[in-house]
Amino acid sequence: MTQRTLRSPVIAKLATAAIVFAACGGAASAPPPTEAPTVAPPTVAPTEAAPYEGMVYPTTGEAPCGTAPYTGNFKKITAVDRLTVKFELCAPDVAFLSKVAFSAFGIQDSDYLTANMANKAILDQPNGTGPYQLVTWDKGNRLVFKAFDGYWGSKALTPNLEFRWSDQAAQRWIELQSGNVDGIDNPGTDDIAAIKADSSVAFYARPGLNTLYLGMNTKIAPWTDVRVRQAIAMGINREQIVKNYYPEGSEVAQYFTPCAIPFACEGEPTWGFDAAAAKQLLVDAGFDFSKTYKIQFRAAVRGYLPDPPVIATEISNQLKTNLGIKTTLDLQESGTFLDANAAGTLDGLFLLGWGADYPDVTNFLDYHFGGGSGAKFGAPFQDIVDALNKGGQSADDAVRKAAYTDANNLIKKNVPMVIIAHGGSGTVFKADVAGAHSSPLSNEVFSVMKAGDRDTLVWMQNAEPLSLYCGDESDGETLRACEQINESLYAYTVGSTGVEPSLATGCEPNAELTVWTCTLRDGVKFHNGADLDANDVVLSYAVQWDAANPLHVGRSGAFEYFPGLFGGFLNPPAS
Amino acid sequence: MTDHHPTHPAAPEYGDAGEILSTRPASLWRDTLTGILRQRSAVVGLLILGVFLFVAVFADQIAPFDPRESMLGIEPGIQKQAPPCIRLLGCPADRFEHIFGLDTNFQDVFSRVVIGSRISIGIGFAAVGMAIVIGAAIGAIAGYVGGRTDNILMRLMDIVLAFPSLLLAIVIVSALGSNLMNTMLAISIVSIPVYARIVRASVIGARENDYVTASRALGESTTGILVRRIMPNAITPLIVQGTLGIGTAVLEIAALAFVGVVSLSEITWGSMIAIEFQRLFTAPHIILAPGLAITFVVLGFNLLGDGLRDAFDPRLNR
Repeated sequence: MTQRTLRSPVIAKLATAAIVFAACGGAASAPPPTEAPTVAPPTVAPTEAAPYEGMVYPTTGEAPCGTAPYTGNFKKITAVDRLTVKFELCAPDVAFLSKVAFSAFGIQDSDYLTANMANKAILDQPNGTGPYQLVTWDKGNRLVFKAFDGYWGSKALTPNLEFRWSDQAAQRWIELQSGNVDGIDNPGTDDIAAIKADSSVAFYARPGLNTLYLGMNTKIAPWTDVRVRQAIAMGINREQIVKNYYPEGSEVAQYFTPCAIPFACEGEPTWGFDAAAAKQLLVDAGFDFSKTYKIQFRAAVRGYLPDPPVIATEISNQLKTNLGIKTTLDLQESGTFLDANAAGTLDGLFLLGWGADYPDVTNFLDYHFGGGSGAKFGAPFQDIVDALNKGGQSADDAVRKAAYTDANNLIKKNVPMVIIAHGGSGTVFKADVAGAHSSPLSNEVFSVMKAGDRDTLVWMQNAEPLSLYCGDESDGETLRACEQINESLYAYTVGSTGVEPSLATGCEPNAELTVWTCTLRDGVKFHNGADLDANDVVLSYAVQWDAANPLHVGRSGAFEYFPGLFGGFLNPPAS
Repeated sequence: MTDHHPTHPAAPEYGDAGEILSTRPASLWRDTLTGILRQRSAVVGLLILGVFLFVAVFADQIAPFDPRESMLGIEPGIQKQAPPCIRLLGCPADRFEHIFGLDTNFQDVFSRVVIGSRISIGIGFAAVGMAIVIGAAIGAIAGYVGGRTDNILMRLMDIVLAFPSLLLAIVIVSALGSNLMNTMLAISIVSIPVYARIVRASVIGARENDYVTASRALGESTTGILVRRIMPNAITPLIVQGTLGIGTAVLEIAALAFVGVVSLSEITWGSMIAIEFQRLFTAPHIILAPGLAITFVVLGFNLLGDGLRDAFDPRLNR
């Protein structure tokens, strides 16, 4: 079989020019609001007679597993034939299917990706295979979708879908009450009783598969001293926070990963509340009580953080009362805050959380503390990385249990952050919305919902998506929008945490779990009319995996998920 | 009662000129005060501001609780967002009195409103005071020197005025860092052009007057002429505009705090509303108190400013 590497730059440029010209109708720049791409010259499936030119990545053969600076677990991706892709890994990955089902790994049309990544057009002109396609993105106002006629699966039950947003729970509830929207995310804690009593709407509880934590950059003083970090962990009365500021269904976090996930709660629970011992630790560490420290957070309401300013105020008050630490609240814009977190530039205590993307302990622990976790808490702790690698590379339950016991104990010992709560939350829909649900992974699927006799389902979430290319996004509000447009090789069961085939009809591992061979669904079309083939899969992964790839652009360029879940970038940046 | 003047044996017949001499000399401040006291709205404004200034000055003594102290654990059985509990209206004796209730963080709303007055009004005064000083200096130089200097300075002022003031203040605080000093600076900077224009107009009107020419002929320095001869003419409109400006500044502080540019840790009326405004329908008392405080203070400054303008206006005093 003939294999070919990436297209030549000349072809890429020609394709870029052709597609951009076609999509823009010859105009130099796209007019606001952003319009969805018009039908671009699609990749026509090769005839049976023509030999398939499958990509292989990396072009040099395979990634240098275990050789610094490469820390990743991907060795090679190969388009074996038009509908077969082979993933070769450096080490076994038991959570491989759960990971590839995640929306950050949505499959893009390779031609469209080539033409629209470098100029960032793909950020607001997505082209997926999902049940809905973008009609327009009226920035700051709404996203409008329509059902994709050429969808390979069950067509969307409501022909049109609209996303709106407000970071105020009260406003979302008012919009639902007034009939302007059909469903809302995260009702306010204070409104839930009234919502449950209102027969015109239905509340769908979302299990607390999330974690709120108070992070610290362990490379920035005074958080460099483990005694200080431990004192903060012991000086916060987490029970008081959960009891008074979280809705029912929430619980005090004892481990970073919610216990509903296998192997999450092995080892010792985190530090208990002991203000006197905590204060003594601070004194022993020579902590400077005269300074005022920042509590950095964003206003975005999430299941793990139902009322950001109130919970930030409570923590600030507790630090003052329990430990004598003076703090000031530093409210930041959501995108800025997330980017600063990824870059490791948050210098105060920062309030952030994590909602499950897939139901495996690696989603919580590897992303935050694994080798590819980056600078969120300063730098990864090597002892934790080693334990996580052991757990992630074994299919043996006993080995995994021992590894995650070690990992949890080491997280407790090193205290890169203070675990606080697992927040219960939910969605609310008009009572006549059939198929309404809330997902434990916060990835509600709107194509299975029928909005009464209306032809548009209007959904109001917490925030506007940051972009519609989710390979380089980590924000849940952004991912949910992408999930209506793009699909991955596998998908999560609607309203549940199981995984099921999606663009792949199946991915079969070898005995060592180091080679996964995926067979693609035949006849799948992208919104621009192109056919799905194996090269689309290879390039979609390659642009995320290889930091030196010219298409490794995205919105911020951080591509947090790939190294977080698969260990590291190919050709990682020197920094 | 007899008339004093006619009975004095040596008293000459004064006529009109004598009557002027016998009257107490005119005083700008006394006349102004008299003018203000004649106007009911100005008196109301003065009373409102008097109350708030008293509260701001003696905030520590008036606030019954530490404004950052959570009542949780201190007051058994207390609920967050508890409604007002006032003895006169039947608040049980075994409970603390919270006349404006508690907020979501179990903090006493009345104490926070009282302490918040200090920052909200204090920054208003400081920002406007600073703006007046800088604006007056710019206006005086521009008006007195004239020519290219005037042109450059006034175009700079036009540029500042071209931006929406709140937006510019947000940009300034975001650039400098969100703390109270920078908030004051931002509000001050966006206010400067108004005062510069007022002073410039007064200076241009006064600089060719005979008494200025005479001072110049007598060799008085430029600074002396500006400060002693010309600037007194600009004080009246400055005071009026400054009074109205403080009300505007209080609103701007609240707005900056509400949008999160001022740290939510600072107890200002705006930050109180920003933290709690989602409880508008479930616990309205929490935002009603700081909201009313802002309303009354701004109303007070507006009423007083209007009164001062009328009192200073000789045409209205005839």
